[in-house]
Amino acid sequence: MRQEGLLQLAASRLIGLVPTLLVLITISFFLIRLAPGGPFDAEMAAPPEIRANLEAKYHLDEPLLAQYFRYLGEVIAFDFGPSFQYKDWTVNELIARGFPISATIGGLAMLLAFFAGVLIGVFAALRQNTASDYTVMGIAMLGISIPNFVVAPLLILVLAIYGGWLPASGWDWTWQRGLLPVVTLALPAIAYIARLTRGSMIEVLHSNYIRTARAKGLPERTVILRHALKPTLLPVISYMGPATAALITGSVVVERIYSIPGLGSYFVQGALNRDYTLVMGVVVFYGMIIILFNFIVDLLYAWLNPRIRYDEGE
Amino acid sequence: MRRLTACVAVLMLALTLIPLGGCSDEGLDFGVRPENRARPVELVLLENGRPDPSVLAEEQVVRRGNGEEPSTLDPHRADGVPAAHILRDLFEGLTTISSSGQIVPGAALRWNISRDARTYTFYLRRDLSWSNGEPLNASDFVYSLRRALHPDTASASAAALLPIANAREVLAGELPIEDLGVALLDDEFTLQITLTGPTPYFLGLMASPVAYPVNRRNVEAFGELFSMPGNLVSNGAFTLNEWVPRTRIVLEKNPLYREARDTLIERVFYIPVEEASAEVNRFRVGELDWTSEVPSNQFAWLQKNYPDELVISPWTGSYFLGFNLTQEPFVDNPSLRMALILAIDREIITDKVTRFGERPSYSLVPPGIDGYVPFTPEYADWTQDERNHEARRLLEQAGYSDANPLHLEIRYNTSGNHKKIALAVASMWKQVLGVSTSLVNEEYRVFLQNRQQKIVTRVFRAGWISDYNDPYSFLELFRTGHRGNDYGYSNSTFDALLDEVGTERVRARRERLMFEAERVLMTDNVIIPIYSHVSKRLVNPHLRGWQPNVLDHHPTRFMYLLRSRGALSSASPSAVDAVSQAASVEAEAPPPPEGALPSPETAGPQADEVDDEDSSERIEQENGEGGS
Amino acid sequence: MALLDVTGLEVEFETPEGTVRAVSNLDFHLEEGETLAIVGESGAGKSQMMMAIMGLLAENGRARGSALYRGADLLGMTARELNAIRGNQIAMIFQDPMTSLNPYMTIEQQMTEVIMHHRKLKRDEARAQAVEMLRAVRIPDAEERIRQYPHEYSGGMRQRVMIAMGLLCEPELLIADEPSTALDVTVQAQITQLVRELREQAGMSIILITHDLAVVADIADRVMVMYAGEVVECGSAEDIFYNPQHPYTRGLLDSVPRLDRASDQDLHAIPGNPPNLLDLPVGCNFRDRCDEAREECREPPPVWRDETGRMSRCVLPMEGGKRVDPDGTGPESRATNSASRENRE
Ligand SMILES: Nc1ncnc2c1ncn2[C@@H]1O[C@H](COP(=O)(O)OP(=O)(O)OP(=O)(O)O)[C@@H](O)[C@H]1O
Ligand code: SF4
Ligand SMILES: [Mg+2]
Repeated sequence: MRQEGLLQLAASRLIGLVPTLLVLITISFFLIRLAPGGPFDAEMAAPPEIRANLEAKYHLDEPLLAQYFRYLGEVIAFDFGPSFQYKDWTVNELIARGFPISATIGGLAMLLAFFAGVLIGVFAALRQNTASDYTVMGIAMLGISIPNFVVAPLLILVLAIYGGWLPASGWDWTWQRGLLPVVTLALPAIAYIARLTRGSMIEVLHSNYIRTARAKGLPERTVILRHALKPTLLPVISYMGPATAALITGSVVVERIYSIPGLGSYFVQGALNRDYTLVMGVVVFYGMIIILFNFIVDLLYAWLNPRIRYDEGE
Repeated sequence: MRRLTACVAVLMLALTLIPLGGCSDEGLDFGVRPENRARPVELVLLENGRPDPSVLAEEQVVRRGNGEEPSTLDPHRADGVPAAHILRDLFEGLTTISSSGQIVPGAALRWNISRDARTYTFYLRRDLSWSNGEPLNASDFVYSLRRALHPDTASASAAALLPIANAREVLAGELPIEDLGVALLDDEFTLQITLTGPTPYFLGLMASPVAYPVNRRNVEAFGELFSMPGNLVSNGAFTLNEWVPRTRIVLEKNPLYREARDTLIERVFYIPVEEASAEVNRFRVGELDWTSEVPSNQFAWLQKNYPDELVISPWTGSYFLGFNLTQEPFVDNPSLRMALILAIDREIITDKVTRFGERPSYSLVPPGIDGYVPFTPEYADWTQDERNHEARRLLEQAGYSDANPLHLEIRYNTSGNHKKIALAVASMWKQVLGVSTSLVNEEYRVFLQNRQQKIVTRVFRAGWISDYNDPYSFLELFRTGHRGNDYGYSNSTFDALLDEVGTERVRARRERLMFEAERVLMTDNVIIPIYSHVSKRLVNPHLRGWQPNVLDHHPTRFMYLLRSRGALSSASPSAVDAVSQAASVEAEAPPPPEGALPSPETAGPQADEVDDEDSSERIEQENGEGGS
Repeated sequence: MALLDVTGLEVEFETPEGTVRAVSNLDFHLEEGETLAIVGESGAGKSQMMMAIMGLLAENGRARGSALYRGADLLGMTARELNAIRGNQIAMIFQDPMTSLNPYMTIEQQMTEVIMHHRKLKRDEARAQAVEMLRAVRIPDAEERIRQYPHEYSGGMRQRVMIAMGLLCEPELLIADEPSTALDVTVQAQITQLVRELREQAGMSIILITHDLAVVADIADRVMVMYAGEVVECGSAEDIFYNPQHPYTRGLLDSVPRLDRASDQDLHAIPGNPPNLLDLPVGCNFRDRCDEAREECREPPPVWRDETGRMSRCVLPMEGGKRVDPDGTGPESRATNSASRENRE
């Protein structure tokens, strides 16, 4: 019955995603096209003949609704079309190349953030209101409040330029080039997860069932790890969904500073250049990723939290 | 409990140590360490102007920072500076440029320009070949120019080819592609291009990517993918070897290039780095030999700390603000416009506001273009006080006073630099003239659209960076109805002068006509000159053979790397060899440069087959009109 | 030697408003096999007293005094020593069955971990015992239901699970803190019946904290009445019921019209409210609500004892009792152990 509950939950959520995506596609399609300025504007206006050729090539000469349905058809076939700006590549190719990089950096950053954040948060919660608690959480606050564009150049300056231990930027799938971006991306998330974990852990430690566990004579480590950790992690897990989605879809700032060819900068470049297909492709792909991650988190949450699982399964 | 917290503590410590993993025994040093940057040996040149092999580094691999990712490597559809840099290495047009930026013979050995400046006949070299070994001849150029202008190609840069006869009709699909004014003459090695009208920079145009030849069989076989590594067949000094989007583009020396014997660089890495400061960082750790630019906020610092690496030179670019002459208060109001022009202290803007080595400018055409000396208005010699005084007088004359105050707006696209300049200008107007100015910043595409529509704009950010070493390419923007004319400027005298420039063949006369046109334009007060651009970049001092030039075009084939002092084997001063992308390149001795062909610079002067006697006669005849 | 001997127990909580004195000068003892009932109004300090003994006070709580369990002071033990006793020799059942089980673990996990930890049993054996114990507390389909989560159980079943869990290691002492209060009447009766049976079968010592005077009359050997953190009267169940000495005890008994249905509401039949624990009055704590209150009650009331161990704290003399020190015990026996629970963990 429990398994069925999970499966049913999964199926119903998945079906519910289709209209969400459709709305996303529709809104972004019309928004980007209604934005002033077009993909072929340049410092010097293109002659009308050339503009006409360009529009014909990318079907921009068709009525907007026809373009919309054409696009819907393409999306269903998972074809996001050619990029206006990066003319030698299709949007599919660009996503296929950019996303693994963003996903790797973002995924590793999230992993690092999760483990480091939970460790720090648990550490602080167990030493609640002591000097070490305040120190650790103070540092975590700094992590949240110092923006990436300050941390990254600092790391580069110290570790790459003056230290000479790491490359300054760029990407080639080596750990040396991945380290700084991962750490930079992870820092605010570590801080946030640490705070979340600390608060959650303190609350859980006050709960009656933890008192029961202690009354059973279980050693403190067992009480924390077996009884307190899982409920402590629930809010962390629900934060992780959108956060992971945000991280693996690419951070524009970090990708720019470290010259990483990830997905994040494509989105910005695409939007600035009115590269309709690229923006749409990235938006739809982002949408799918974010929805997917919220979905995964829902499932994970249900799996961790027997009460939800039960209620949904009924 | 205690053990748990101990575990947590250890793990936390480990985490803080991760970033230090793999550290060397060098301590942290926050000072600049110029002594660590290797210095090249003294350059020794042979009689033919090429470097002595003994001073060359073993590994001739250059890594060029290249700004944004190139739009495409299809020369006909490419736009933007980054793509052009790469394409100049991959391809060669009928003409090409020398290391100093001069137009010199490329695929064409020589050419003939008809007296009416409407027919160009190019005589191609007979021993040319594509990088795949196929011979290259004039029919390849016919095919390529037709392709560039074909409606299906939908090339935005094809606009540059509009001077070719019937180009517009072909682009519009009104005439078949065969009707384009490009034809083979006599044999496979003579190409004739007919123009709709005189086009002064046409030879420069033939050196630009949109006029490069593409290999027909290659294009037809691969379609739009022909410009991918493995597919692309080219005719330049290098061939395309690898392309990882937004990571690197790798070119290899093309042994079949006509001057392959003089090409010393074996491999070129073009590294796209969107963020200028990231480019500088990568230069500083030795991952780049060349940056596409330097960020303005680091300019002063680099000037101090990297004096040998920072290279600044004039560039074919002007920064100015424009007036929209079609809207009040600027319609027929030259004294108001003049007041606004005068009240600006350009020195303050370049020295105190922008501060990245630009030069204050009083006219449209930047200095240093093809020997042309730009027009200088009278007020350029005045003190700023005198200018301010005159500005106030003119403003009053235009009817503005405390009782009738003037309110203006400056519109610009979102960018720190534009904003700083607009702010400075607004505060100068306020201070000197009491004119209040609001700043309107718009996203780039929105701004472009507004500027071109000429409805909401009043004073706006403008400027031009030309691809041609020719003042005409600046002046033509102000022709009546020109698509770059976002000012709504129209002056028949000015237009007539430009027409004359088009057909004028004698250099001195032509310059005089352009000077006159610029004078007309500047006395009509259409733009507010601010400064002329300079190109500025960091260059590895080992990298030689290139020359600063106004076009800022630097084909890699002229470059070579010097050996470091005291190091016979090490190729470059790379600090992070282990992770450098170039690290795996095998060293190869440069080819011996003895018996080298004459370099393009020396080949240039003998190429232009213009019969100057006829032309000079015409100059005398038209002299009278030009002065009016 | 008594199984449990508590002397001079004090419990204080540091709060932003000040120090809450939840338990003061508390002495009591429990013999082996004995059932001690502790009664008193809500907030009297019944639960916190037991929490202090079990080392389960909240972080802001401090315990002083001593609680000798078979001669060893529970308040002075290291965490390890205490853990060897908690859940093993002393089991505790909490007031709120709905939240006292971990909602994220199955009943099986929560039950087996106790015996696996204390008795070093294998999972299978532990499981078998847990199922058996669930059957003993009359959980139907124990074999199946042991795999379920707490929320799949009703409140009464959860309390039975708590009891079963407490009994798994066959403790010598079971502390049951109002095991039936949160439950409805029929379930209350079942739970009470269960505790009674267990006592008879296993011969455990039991401390039963309750509001339910009916239960007290039924199963307790002795009764201890608490008011505002102090013991006001203590004696055999019979004495307390049929011959209450302290005005508060009398009030309590008067307010129970029917012995089969006791509730907070009935207890509140004594007019007025307990004193503020942040600022206890000098003299008798019950003074404001006492019918018998008089001038002397402004002084700390004397303590009366007799040889049966009966005790009362009031200016009114206790039948057959001798007047002892007004503080109940000599000052030297208090404050012998001021080690705080926190420092030991
Ligand atoms: N952590 C704490 N901080 C401050 N005060 C507390 C804390 N825990 C308990 N108290 C206070 O201690 C007093 C005694 O509480 P206790 O739980 O022992 O009452 P009780 O006799 O068990 O009442 P009930 O019958 O309602 O369970 C109460 O006034 C309560 O508010
Ligand atoms: S001491 Fe006085 S006030 Fe307190 S219970 Fe006895 S009679 Fe009542
Ligand atoms: Mg209680």
